[in-house]
Amino acid sequence: MATAEHEYWREQGEIYALGALDGQELKDFEAHLAAGCPVCDAYLRETGETLNLVHRSLQPVTPSTAVKDRILRQIAGDKVVPITVAQPKQTRGWQIITGTIAACIIGVVLTGTYYNYRYSVYSSVVNLLRDPTTRDLPLYGAGPTPTAKGRFLWNQSGEGHIFVSDLPSAPEGKMYAVWTIAQQSPPRYVGTVETNPKGQGGLHIKTTRSELPVETFAVTLEPVGTTAAPTGPMVLVSKQS
Amino acid sequence: MLRMSSDAEDLLQEVFVQVWHQANRYSEERGSPEAWIVNIARSRAIDKLRSIRRMERSFVLTDDPAKAESSDNVESSAAESETKLTMNSALANLPEAQRKVLVLAYFDGLSQSEIADRLKEPLGTVKTRMRSGIQRLRDLLETKVR
Repeated sequence: MATAEHEYWREQGEIYALGALDGQELKDFEAHLAAGCPVCDAYLRETGETLNLVHRSLQPVTPSTAVKDRILRQIAGDKVVPITVAQPKQTRGWQIITGTIAACIIGVVLTGTYYNYRYSVYSSVVNLLRDPTTRDLPLYGAGPTPTAKGRFLWNQSGEGHIFVSDLPSAPEGKMYAVWTIAQQSPPRYVGTVETNPKGQGGLHIKTTRSELPVETFAVTLEPVGTTAAPTGPMVLVSKQS
Repeated sequence: MLRMSSDAEDLLQEVFVQVWHQANRYSEERGSPEAWIVNIARSRAIDKLRSIRRMERSFVLTDDPAKAESSDNVESSAAESETKLTMNSALANLPEAQRKVLVLAYFDGLSQSEIADRLKEPLGTVKTRMRSGIQRLRDLLETKVR
């Protein structure tokens, strides 16, 4: 369908959703809908949801308690109607084909995006390993997670990568904050690492170059949003205590 | 919308009973449950409002035809609805001209041609204001979601 023509239906659809379309325009639009137009159907549904804002603009009024009694009395003798999810309308063949193609395209794009992301992470780690100035430091479990393990690749230019394992997912409202600590300097927050159900996780870090060489790397369990200074227990640390 | 609290309470009862009886007809495809119930309530309210309006018009016409045609009557009805709007509501953020046409359509159940007649504005102007108003509401909704 030509774009200009569809723009016309879209405009009619907005007035239709408001309930204000009338006369021949109303008949024409309803005929257009009846002929099957998934674009207009979707747009109408979206406009309907927008118009739901309108009734929320009114000040709510509490009805008298008698209304509730009247309603309950009226339905008291009724047979209960079981609520079942309505079956979707019969889908047409072309819709199945279009849907399948769209799903394939989305799948390919998402898969491509995912592999691009994984590839960029692997490339960054390989580049770090290639750099002779990169340090590879083991991380040891501490505090509530003595069995946790990890590795920290760190380049003094401010780039690094942390790998963790056997570290359970952070509890609700908490996060694992990663810190670098230079000599006689306060800990510096460099990111948050998340773990999967197997307890594994990783994070690539890119920060500005530190003036002083970083001596210690640590992960602490913090309330979400804590980045100024560590307040919670240390769960991984680069130097064995 | 109905202005009389007894009418509104009758309507509330009818809507709840209808929802009770027709709950199995609800389909997710049509939108959220809230939207479904609001649509039932609005559609019934507009039916009632139109029947009240027809009755009032017939009484007024026999009494004073000029009064029935007066746009002030309708303007005051829309203005009355507007006074009930909460200050921070989405509608309160619309320009007055857009708000007026949306209120007349949504709360008073008037069609685009009826609104154009009552406001003595060209039909095209009314349509443009409606569409701009809806677009603005959509933008506000997106801002809130963000």
